[in-house]
Amino acid sequence: MEPTSSSDNLHPLEIKVLEAFRTEGAESSLSIAQLAEATGLESAQLSMAIEWLVAKQLLVTVSETVTPLVSLTPIGKAYAEQGSPLERILSAVREASATGRRLTIADLQVREELDPSEVSRAVGRLKKEGALLVIQGGCLESTGRPSPSAEAMRSLLRELYEATRPLDSFPEDHRPLIREYAVKRGSSREPFRIEEHVTRSYALSPGGAAAVTSLANQGYREEVAQLSPDLLKDGAWRTKRFRKYTISLRPPRIAIGRKHPYREFLDVVKFKLVGMGFQEMRGSLVETEFWNMDALFMPQFHPARDIHDVYFVKDPTHASSIAEPFLSRVAQTHERGGQTGSTGWGYRFDGERARRLVLRSQGTAVSARTLAATPSVPGKYFSIARCFRYDQVDATHATDFFQIEGIVLGDDINFRTLLGLLNLFAREVAQAKEVKFMPAYFPFTEPSVELHVRHPRLGWMELGGAGLFRPEVTLPLGVAVPVIAWGLGLDRMAMVALGIHDIRELFTDNLELIRSTRGLF
Amino acid sequence: MPTISILKSDLESLVAMPGEPGAVSLDQLDEWLALVKGEVKGYQADTGELRIELQDSNRPDLWCCEGIARQIRIKREGAFKPYSFLTARPRRPKRLLVAPELESIRPYVAACAARGYRVTEQGLAQLIQTQEKLADIFGRKRKTVSIGLYRLEPIQFPITYEAVNPEDVRFTPLGMETAMTLSEMLAVHPKGVEYGTILAGQRRVPLLRDSALQPLSFPPIINSREIGEVRVGDDQLLIEVTGTDITMVVLALNIFAVNLADRGATIEPVAVHYPYDTPLGKRVVTPCTLGQPRSIPLETIERALGQRLGVHTVKQALESYGYQVSAKRKVVVVQLPPYRHDFMHAMDVVEDVAMSLGYGTFQPEMPSQFTVGGLSPLEQVSDRARDLMVGLGFQEIISNILGSPEAYRNAMRLEGTPWGRMVEVANVMSATFSCLRQWMVPSLLRVEAASARSFYPHRLFEAGEVVIPDPTHALGSRTESVLGALIAHASAHFSELHSCLDSLLYHMGITYALEPTSHPSFLDGRVGKIVVSGTTRELGLIGELHPEVLERWQIAVPVAAFEINLSRLVELERL
Repeated sequence: MEPTSSSDNLHPLEIKVLEAFRTEGAESSLSIAQLAEATGLESAQLSMAIEWLVAKQLLVTVSETVTPLVSLTPIGKAYAEQGSPLERILSAVREASATGRRLTIADLQVREELDPSEVSRAVGRLKKEGALLVIQGGCLESTGRPSPSAEAMRSLLRELYEATRPLDSFPEDHRPLIREYAVKRGSSREPFRIEEHVTRSYALSPGGAAAVTSLANQGYREEVAQLSPDLLKDGAWRTKRFRKYTISLRPPRIAIGRKHPYREFLDVVKFKLVGMGFQEMRGSLVETEFWNMDALFMPQFHPARDIHDVYFVKDPTHASSIAEPFLSRVAQTHERGGQTGSTGWGYRFDGERARRLVLRSQGTAVSARTLAATPSVPGKYFSIARCFRYDQVDATHATDFFQIEGIVLGDDINFRTLLGLLNLFAREVAQAKEVKFMPAYFPFTEPSVELHVRHPRLGWMELGGAGLFRPEVTLPLGVAVPVIAWGLGLDRMAMVALGIHDIRELFTDNLELIRSTRGLF
Repeated sequence: MPTISILKSDLESLVAMPGEPGAVSLDQLDEWLALVKGEVKGYQADTGELRIELQDSNRPDLWCCEGIARQIRIKREGAFKPYSFLTARPRRPKRLLVAPELESIRPYVAACAARGYRVTEQGLAQLIQTQEKLADIFGRKRKTVSIGLYRLEPIQFPITYEAVNPEDVRFTPLGMETAMTLSEMLAVHPKGVEYGTILAGQRRVPLLRDSALQPLSFPPIINSREIGEVRVGDDQLLIEVTGTDITMVVLALNIFAVNLADRGATIEPVAVHYPYDTPLGKRVVTPCTLGQPRSIPLETIERALGQRLGVHTVKQALESYGYQVSAKRKVVVVQLPPYRHDFMHAMDVVEDVAMSLGYGTFQPEMPSQFTVGGLSPLEQVSDRARDLMVGLGFQEIISNILGSPEAYRNAMRLEGTPWGRMVEVANVMSATFSCLRQWMVPSLLRVEAASARSFYPHRLFEAGEVVIPDPTHALGSRTESVLGALIAHASAHFSELHSCLDSLLYHMGITYALEPTSHPSFLDGRVGKIVVSGTTRELGLIGELHPEVLERWQIAVPVAAFEINLSRLVELERL
């Protein structure tokens, strides 16, 4: 391993360990205890640093000694605080004998809240040592003699309560007692635990020695993890080394503030339309049948006006009024053509039906309102309008959805400029160079066109529908110039761009999906 | 609009010119279908079955194999050849006599006979399909038009179209084994059950009978099984149409007549004698031409299409689309073929010129007049609010506006309160989508409730439309745009969100004050009205959501939310 690079990549903990070797002599072999003292590190940090250095082959293990260490279990700690069963039983028996009370094993269990097994084990031992007697009727009586094991137990508990100690550090005669009362397989409720502690000594490898030299040559500078205001304030950063980061790790995830990916898509379309000279129009989500359909020359018997296609409002059911002169003009146009040069539909127009309130079913309702509100001529308008259809909801039908629609008014509007506008949409909105114009049918336009484009990624697709508003639509609303009505069907493009296959996911309640969906348009 | 099923081979043989090999490619077919606004929706190569969708709801003549083939054939032949049964009228046609009572029940009828076309299996399937599509869509589920087909031989002319007491007449209807009265048919026959409402309230009902008093049918419900069941192999037919609009009745019969004529039948007109006046007179020989020739200035057509075409090109285009045309210097006089009645305005003819020439022959041209684009004030304010919320670290949500009273009202503890009022739909399909949201907070809770597994904190907003009931408004409600925002995490509280609101309103240029208020969706003492400073104009609300609301939504972390009315902000700016 190349020394410079290895010392470059050292963690401050590792450097501390290597420094210890430099101080103690590069040839020395140091135990963990010695290293702990030399570095002043906590044992967890120290063993981590040693582990890293061994893995980097800068340190090698030179010896391994196994020491049995004795420590107290939670039971042992309780004994140390409350006295061991040996001691407590002995003093209870002595007290009973002194006052002449009868004391049985059962009494002891109740009085001292001890397990029957603990009591009988302690009583057995004390009896064997001659410190008590079991007399007639199971009564216990003190002999007045001391119990060596109770004494020993007391001192062991006290000493171990302070700190863990090697087994070897206890007097020879105490060690059997420790072993007897240590946790073993099959007897876990014991006061002592004996663990084999492995102590290793380490020495520098040649690479380690080189790293120490290189550290010494660089002049030791304390490494810091983070530049702090204090370091900047007093200029102390000059004497510090900044630990290099492992920059290949993945960072933690954060949630950013962001527009909805579908909004990003709609915004792109919105600003393209504004760029092409379109003015935004807005309308009401609740509309009358008049503006939603009648004004668009859809006869009142038209199948798409059925209860199975449109949502009707429950209360109030009807608008208070429809503005004149539009109501009478539209009614006459439906009936006999009015002043439009049309034959009309030849049926009796129902003014009551015109006032019926519905949830807007097509964005064209917004266009109709705009036509009636003295629009600019020439003029271009668009809306991104939420519309509602009485449809079973499934992967391709949403109950409410955005329609992107608009109108273009002007003296120069005709079939060819209609095609020109659609060409522009194809290029600007779908980045398509190839287009096809197909005859189409809409109740309110004549001629009507469907725009098919070859999308760079999706291939041939229907991008929208358009046409020249019938004079039966424009003239009753007071517009004398030809008007293009257009609509773009962009949901499929949006779904592909957002990587979803179900139209309902455009309005999903799944925050994880919204947070992770990229909007690439 | 209708989707029909036809055999490709049937279409090919109807389109083919004499001596021409029949088969056409699907590409060729697509091109031809542009002439009829048709689109192939499916093709089964093994059976040769094509499913074609027809868009034009004003051209019922195209909702059948014969009609599609006819439009294509005329284009290929360059002109429409008039049908002889419309030009050479018979001296003494068969008769159909109408009784006076029908005027107030179902006043109009048209009929003709067709001989010499032996009905094939496919021919029969097409006859039935055309009958169904015309009666169902064009005839508005038989209400305005219904159609009957019969074997001609057993029928003794003249036929009578009369009104009878439904208890007095019995015959065996199609689809049944035994004779029954007309009342029984209305009660038990599937067609009687389906279409009986058309005759609701009539004491007497229509009946077609021949001179030997054999019932032909009970229009618009069902035919007699004896005479009114056409089978493969029959070569003499009677077609009858009844209805409430004489033009539609005659048009439907005309379509059947030309369809059968195109398959080789000789059509024999029937004279219908009315005891009352009709728009076409008291004696109407059907089939017959409808509508008058109309003059259209050449300039109207050229201006609408944006192209100089000349009278000759226009004449040719219209003739090869089925019109009869006579051209003067600056005017064309046009008459639709007998199977069409969709000429309402000159613009209808303009489109046919364009379709006949082909949309591809018109050079697109950019509209040249200058216009200024821009967003509405409300959209500008909404966009600004969205930008600021994004800057504050909030994720935008877009939700359905149509939702459930459970979510918008009940789960918000708003039952029976003024805040719980909203616009509901009358024809509910599913309770999940039965009312319009009157505020935004439930839309945000919908996402919060579904997203407990998405890492916290959650900071959500939506700027969008709500509908607020308002009896003083002509539409009974106002559509307004609002901004709603929500924070949700283990220690979310009022003041964290208040900081966001404060920054937002500062940058929106609004100085505001919070006034303590009470709202059932929020914890008392932790909810305030947002009021424009120094005024009583309320912009919205901010507060910690009531634990019961969170429980109803099964949300397990505290939530604070605010809502401000952007439409009102725009009004403020205008002041």
